[in-house]
Amino acid sequence: MTLIREEGAVKDRFTRADTLDAALEIDGPALVPLTIAADFAKARPGAEFGISVPGSTPIEDVRPHLGGATLVAVEFPAFADGRGFSLAKKIVREGFAGTLRASGPLIADEFADALACGFTEVELPETMANRQPVQQWLAARATMSEHYQTGYGRGPSILQKRLAARKGA
Amino acid sequence: MYRYDEFDERFVRERVAQFRGQVERRLDGSLSEDEFKPLRLKNGLYLQLHAYMLRIAVPYGTLNSAQLRQLAHIAETYDKGYGHFTTRQNLQFNWPKLKDVPDILGLLADVEMHCIQTSGNCIRNVTSDQFAGVARDEVEDPRPTAELIRQWSSLHPEFVWLPRKFKIAVTGAEHDRAAIKVHDIGLKLKRNEQGAVGYEVIVGGGLGRTPMIGKLVREFLPKDELLAYLEAVMRVYNSEGRRDNKFKARVKILVHETGEEEFRARVEEEYAKLDGPTINAPDEEVERIAAYFAPPAYDTLPEASQVLDQARAIDPELDRFVEQNAFEHKQPGYIALTISLKEIGAVPGDMSADQMRAFADVAERYSFDEFRVTHAQNLVLPHVKKDDLPAVHAALKAAGLASANAGLITDIIACPGLDYCALATAKSIPIAQAIAKTFADRERQKTIGELPIKISGCINACGHHHVGAIGILGLEKGGRENYQITVGGDATEHAALGERLGPGIDAEDVPAAIEAIVETYLAEKTGEESFIETVRRTGAEPFKAGFTAFVESRAVNSEAAE
Amino acid sequence: MAKDHRAGSKVRGDRLPAILMASHLLEGDTVFLSDGGWTLDPTAAKIAHDAETAAVMEAEGKAAAAANTVIEPYLVPVDLTDDGLPVARHFRDAMRQKGPSIHPDMGKQAEFAPLD
Ligand code: SF4
Repeated sequence: MTLIREEGAVKDRFTRADTLDAALEIDGPALVPLTIAADFAKARPGAEFGISVPGSTPIEDVRPHLGGATLVAVEFPAFADGRGFSLAKKIVREGFAGTLRASGPLIADEFADALACGFTEVELPETMANRQPVQQWLAARATMSEHYQTGYGRGPSILQKRLAARKGA
Repeated sequence: MYRYDEFDERFVRERVAQFRGQVERRLDGSLSEDEFKPLRLKNGLYLQLHAYMLRIAVPYGTLNSAQLRQLAHIAETYDKGYGHFTTRQNLQFNWPKLKDVPDILGLLADVEMHCIQTSGNCIRNVTSDQFAGVARDEVEDPRPTAELIRQWSSLHPEFVWLPRKFKIAVTGAEHDRAAIKVHDIGLKLKRNEQGAVGYEVIVGGGLGRTPMIGKLVREFLPKDELLAYLEAVMRVYNSEGRRDNKFKARVKILVHETGEEEFRARVEEEYAKLDGPTINAPDEEVERIAAYFAPPAYDTLPEASQVLDQARAIDPELDRFVEQNAFEHKQPGYIALTISLKEIGAVPGDMSADQMRAFADVAERYSFDEFRVTHAQNLVLPHVKKDDLPAVHAALKAAGLASANAGLITDIIACPGLDYCALATAKSIPIAQAIAKTFADRERQKTIGELPIKISGCINACGHHHVGAIGILGLEKGGRENYQITVGGDATEHAALGERLGPGIDAEDVPAAIEAIVETYLAEKTGEESFIETVRRTGAEPFKAGFTAFVESRAVNSEAAE
Repeated sequence: MAKDHRAGSKVRGDRLPAILMASHLLEGDTVFLSDGGWTLDPTAAKIAHDAETAAVMEAEGKAAAAANTVIEPYLVPVDLTDDGLPVARHFRDAMRQKGPSIHPDMGKQAEFAPLD
């Protein structure tokens, strides 16, 4: 797995575990499926953990865990499945301030969109990272410097910039 | 019309560079074909039967002469000297090379054009009424709304990987020429009882394999809430639209399966969570865009033109042309003129580079440098002085663009079909050509009157056959091309889907079958009824009977010949 | 036009003889596998008369696709003319061998000797 952020590749602090037993064996933060998140939190009170949720998950199912988890990994079954982008928007809207991860076979051309929808990082299978190394991701992110949609990305939208220019003039 | 500012300009230039990089990464293997395909589609590039095809966005069908001249230049430099106007108000080139596409995009950017989202599972190029700003029955010009949506939907970070394509149409008029009831979202500008302007919002219409008429989801949406409401609809669709079966992935299926009321509730629930003011366009921005669509500097003229009246009296060809192709303008002394790209025997929607240049000259000189593309694959000169019509007609005639058949039985919509399209199951254009030849006689066309025929070469329905007064669908049956015929389809405010008349027939039989259908109409019609009005009154039954009789007589003839 | 490309055509009966048809990635033209690589000329297409040859050709097509030279290669069942030239049995593949029926001045039919 390769983990990519805006500034480049980073090390993954989290270890994935599919069962509660496996999760309890882990030193350091565990990344667990939504279904065992509550049990894990009970068994290891105060321990740092992340939850893994398919992009198709309704926000109602994610919401109860957003207070406890410091990482939410949204799983993309395929690069062309855009549900994860909407789920990210909804998670951010809930006030989640931890790390939001897009996980799956995404392509570099989606990096800017993922960041604009609120993701912090992308976790790639190794086969993808071999074909599209980190440099391609960073280059792809920088291709478009402007966006029209207000409420996405960090900088102001084109509509906001026009308004500011008008007010300043 | 709208002109790019520095932001729009930079956006489109960067998009060109982005695509150039994507092509390079495809060639060096960084992107697989499966990954590259949706990326090229989102930039309008298809792979067809013989070559690539590039679809260029004509936002809400509006162009100027410099743009058309550039298209002519591209057609000659990178293609085979012609372009094809589509049922989505766009333009396609049928022979570009992948290696040339980035340069073509650069040339397009030079004239404020692009190919963004003319294909792929994203929000497509927004379409509108070809008589926007001209029609008398208009509440408000729909083009500023369409332009706002064009900007908002361009490379939208959240909505570029939808379950399926998504088409939005806007109209500002009472009479719907934008087919809003058969779009994923249809918007109609209207006034509420207090006189405020807003939108009627229709969701879930569409053609294709499962044609449906859209459902009213919002009776009145205040105008300044548009983008936030669209975001809510798109988020519900992106999250919940089906992804397990591409034939059930359009929003119409979601609306249908969820139920109209429940779908509406989910949209409203999502909408309630949004912080509208942070999403919607500021008033200043809406006004900035609208200012580009202010009426041009018309001369003050009397409604009637003596010059024109006299010219019509001595030139029957001009007279017919004006009678058939003119559309009433709200400004006295002006008309809008439909330019039919349906000369008898020609390919519907095709235009040569020479014709483009000639037409650009006419638009520049006589129509405030502006023209429109219609979803019937024709063009419109929106603001022609009646006094200028004789000169305009002469110039058009010299360019082979003066066919006086707008709206008649020979003004046929046809998708590219098997002559180009990789998805086709049957030919489409040759059928249109054969029908047009059959009904070439002018008097006969006039007697039959308004009769939109629409032809698709497969179930995807790009030729909109479901909403043709006569619809023709080409399929493959037993290794042969086979055509199903429907009547009663309508894309206007009376939106209706056509009803099938009987079994499919061979290509050779289509023109005679259409003749049989027309005979039924002429026998059934009362008074001044048009074809569609007659079908609406009588239902499909008499047409089925006539068609069945035709099919039986064919069977007898072919047996006798054996 | 709808989104997905449809490679291959439904043909009933014999799959042989066959030729291998694809699209050239960079140019977009329809190309055929010949004895000496890919050709634009439909009359120069290599003909598989037996299943083994067809399988070898198909593998060659897959390799060329993997090498980013062609896209969507597939075997096309053909009939042979008196001169031994391959004419696709399905009307869709035959259209690709010739070019658009509405433009005899364009495509293969304008550039190469006719197949029949
Ligand atoms: S209707 Fe079918 S054949 Fe016609 S253009 Fe669309 S996909 Fe192609």
